[in-house]
Amino acid sequence: MSSIKEKFNQISPSEFFYSNRDLAGFSNPTRSLYTAVREFVENALDACDQKGILPDVHLSIKPVHPDKSDPQAYILTVKDNGPGVDAHHIPLAFGTVLYGSKFGLKQARGMFGLGATMAILYGQITTNKPVTVKSSSDGKIQNQFEILLDIQKNKPVILKHTTKEVSKKGLSVSICLEGDYSKAGAKIRDYVYETSLITPYASITFDDPKGEKFVHSRFVKDIPPPPTIIRPHPHGIDVERIRRMIVESQFDIPVIDDVMIEKVRKDLGLSKQNLAFTAIMSKAKKKWKTLSRQIRVVIALMSFLKMDFEKLSKIRIEDLDVPNKKLYYWDFGDSQSKSVDMDPESDYYKQLTNTVQGEPLTTFLTKRFQRIGPSTAVKFAEFAKFKPERRMGTLSNEELVHLSDSLQKFEDFMAPDSSCLAPLGESPLEKGIKKFFNPDFVAVIQRPASAYSGFPFIVEMGIAYGGDIKAGGPHVYRYANRIPLLYDEGSDVVVKVVKETDWGRYKVKGEPPFIIVSHICSTRIPYKTAGKENVADRQEIERELKLGLQYLSRKLAAFMSKKGQAEMAKKRANLYAKYIPLIAEFCTELAGKKSQPNFKKLLEEEFPADKNNSETDNNEAPLDDNEEQTEENEENE
Amino acid sequence: MSKVKSAKTKELSKKALEKQKNILESLKSHGAKIYDDLNSGQFPKFSIPSRSVSNIVYDKKLRQYILGTNAAIRSSRNSSQLRSFTQLMWLAFFANRLTQEKKSSTLRDVYYSSQAFAIDFEDQAESDNIIVDLEAVTSKPREDFHIFPEERSSIFGDLNIEYTIPGYEGKTMNLSNHPDGYSIGPSLTTAELVDTSAEIVIAIEKGGLFTRFVEEQVDKKFKSIIINTGGQAPRSTRTLLKRLHDEMKLPVIVLTDGDVYGEHIAMVIKSGSANAAHLRELTVPDAKWVGVWATDIEKYKLPTIPMTEADIKRCYDLQKDPRYEDGIWKKELDVFLRIKRKAELEAFSKYGLTNITDKYLPQKLELAKSL
Repeated sequence: MSSIKEKFNQISPSEFFYSNRDLAGFSNPTRSLYTAVREFVENALDACDQKGILPDVHLSIKPVHPDKSDPQAYILTVKDNGPGVDAHHIPLAFGTVLYGSKFGLKQARGMFGLGATMAILYGQITTNKPVTVKSSSDGKIQNQFEILLDIQKNKPVILKHTTKEVSKKGLSVSICLEGDYSKAGAKIRDYVYETSLITPYASITFDDPKGEKFVHSRFVKDIPPPPTIIRPHPHGIDVERIRRMIVESQFDIPVIDDVMIEKVRKDLGLSKQNLAFTAIMSKAKKKWKTLSRQIRVVIALMSFLKMDFEKLSKIRIEDLDVPNKKLYYWDFGDSQSKSVDMDPESDYYKQLTNTVQGEPLTTFLTKRFQRIGPSTAVKFAEFAKFKPERRMGTLSNEELVHLSDSLQKFEDFMAPDSSCLAPLGESPLEKGIKKFFNPDFVAVIQRPASAYSGFPFIVEMGIAYGGDIKAGGPHVYRYANRIPLLYDEGSDVVVKVVKETDWGRYKVKGEPPFIIVSHICSTRIPYKTAGKENVADRQEIERELKLGLQYLSRKLAAFMSKKGQAEMAKKRANLYAKYIPLIAEFCTELAGKKSQPNFKKLLEEEFPADKNNSETDNNEAPLDDNEEQTEENEENE
Repeated sequence: MSKVKSAKTKELSKKALEKQKNILESLKSHGAKIYDDLNSGQFPKFSIPSRSVSNIVYDKKLRQYILGTNAAIRSSRNSSQLRSFTQLMWLAFFANRLTQEKKSSTLRDVYYSSQAFAIDFEDQAESDNIIVDLEAVTSKPREDFHIFPEERSSIFGDLNIEYTIPGYEGKTMNLSNHPDGYSIGPSLTTAELVDTSAEIVIAIEKGGLFTRFVEEQVDKKFKSIIINTGGQAPRSTRTLLKRLHDEMKLPVIVLTDGDVYGEHIAMVIKSGSANAAHLRELTVPDAKWVGVWATDIEKYKLPTIPMTEADIKRCYDLQKDPRYEDGIWKKELDVFLRIKRKAELEAFSKYGLTNITDKYLPQKLELAKSL
């Protein structure tokens, strides 16, 4: 048994990804090139977003040997003006798998920064070339690394490290990888184009292998407010997550050596003073609020040991037996184990049990989750049949599972906090659509935040008609957390909702030139597959999409009927201009007259030049929307 | 004789001229009104008697369907009517030219002619419909505007006519000179009917029987003019039938297949169709349907075919028509519904090809006198 276990332990994360790279979107040269572009561009944008920097991102793809045919080796470089990465983090960040900075719970394009390392790994596998990272985090010195990844050991191998002076912050990552641009090109261009629509505050340029340059300049100067990192919502939790949170909340008893004693003395302001035990205690009480947890624990131990610093340096803590309220220690002087009783009423006792047994349930819940206050925590404890003061560290496995289940089931938690989301906003979205499609009509909406399974989300949508938009719509542009989704359109929830809409109801007929932009923001997008290309049809998300689309469709319908009226008026004028002269011609001969009647007066009176506009403005076509309105009402209740 | 004839011709020509003058006057007055409207900044309009079912009523005095008093306004102000208004305007203009120049044209001609004037008809059905509008506005059949239908029926028998159409004016013709018969077209419809030795007109539904009748010299044996209606009689044929009856004082009998459609062919000759309720010069109220009756089927033991569902439905429809409320029309319709079988004119051939002319026709002619 033990030998097998050992063997498993030896597989590094790098090796795991190496053998499962399909999962992360590196299945073939076409897809891999596209995925690599995505990962680096998204990392660059995320880095800038987090620091509130208007992103300038430069993407370039160049063949290593220009006259070879696809699939072939390409050099992929992505350069940004973001905060850069500290020099001492670079080897780990770019030379190991599972090293990332995005573990907090908030909306970001990538989850853990794994994708970029995967791309580096894929490049190394296919071309055996290192990754080149140039980074300046202070705007003065740029560190340049060439790194290979030791797959078996999951460790970086630094081939080269140089520094030079620069004038700007930023990061540039360059890898060499096997790709197929002739096949992936269209998707990559689409990706860059669509990304710039949903990231209107970014400038993105793309130098493609054929020497073409695609420039998407920023046209919005304001970055949408960055998301805040928040605590998890109880509905979005699982057993493993709780287990980790408990570990975070527990602390070991510090080792009391000379260094530690020196630290305690310093913090109490007693470095050069030898006070007796009681004097130390009263000093500590005064300074309690300024003391760190570690120091507090040491003081608490001293309170039961009743020792001064001199004595404390001659013992070692052995065990804290909470159930029996005994503190065991080894006395070096007497060379034997001793114990003292602890008074459970003492505040110091609480300090110690907190440290080893973790927090009480109610504290744990209120401190570590959003949407749980003290009274909710007590109500929940009652619901789950736990004692409110139950220490988290004492929960058994079964109890943990029960706690997790109960958190999911308890319905009195408020909906998740959406401050962790960063929707683009209606105005930038509208500007983006206007710039990209130059449409005759555009409408946008940001729905209020909602949640599925404890994960908050916001749906933003836009609709546009006419202008530069091609016929044959609706064309759907799908985004999730500001990432364009280009593959697997068929099974996506947005496409499903659009397809289920009866456009005839909204006066949209035939092969209309119109587009729909949908942006779902969430701390966790429910992707159907690991490839992150299509969103699953969660009921709550589908509902928000439907309501958003209905709102926009009604706006479109109003526009269409105005447009229809304007067209009708114009048609009508044309009709009269065509037929009245004919009538005049025929009746002249029929009546036996020599000259035609003066019909121009008639036409001018009926159709003055500016007639069309004034006539159509006042008329909003009545729409039969009873069904949708009831749905809206339900929502309000 | 010739003196009498010429006097009669002159009188008739005068009548024809009068008619032409009336038509032209009518068209001109419509044109003048529209001209004035346009000149005074008004949208011109036509008042068209409504031809919807609710406005078609049966006039017992006239013994035909006529239009009621409802009329629809077709205004050039209404953009959805503008096109058809212009079409109607154009047609009046075109009819005016045709009548003045004495040129004849067909329904299809009208459809194509429109294209020369940037008047676009979707299809011939649309232009045909506008022609009926003009008939309704002026209460004159289209033949008066020199617009004739495509379909041709034919006539045979001792009848002298004199043409009035340009290039043939004064030329005469006897309609028994050619054994295939003469097709009833614009020249014949507008010709003067000079004289005849015939004492009766036999209208027969089918071309095959028409040929048989000519072969068997029905015209001589029964002193008759034979007319092939070719199914439902075209309006030009009905006009001619009316003229033969009114001007030559000839009784008209109708011989059709023994089915509900045959019965109705006879009825239309007698009292018109709902489609032409806006016109009043197409009926021969004294015309008699002499067969083949439903009762004949049993009486003459004719081979029959079963009626289809459509045939039966047609019977029920006709039962609601006031003209079928009494007499022979009601009786025969009831019998058709009872036996649910029908027989064609050719069925008599079972008893020999000439059976119909030798036996059936004489009996029917005799019977007609008492109808």
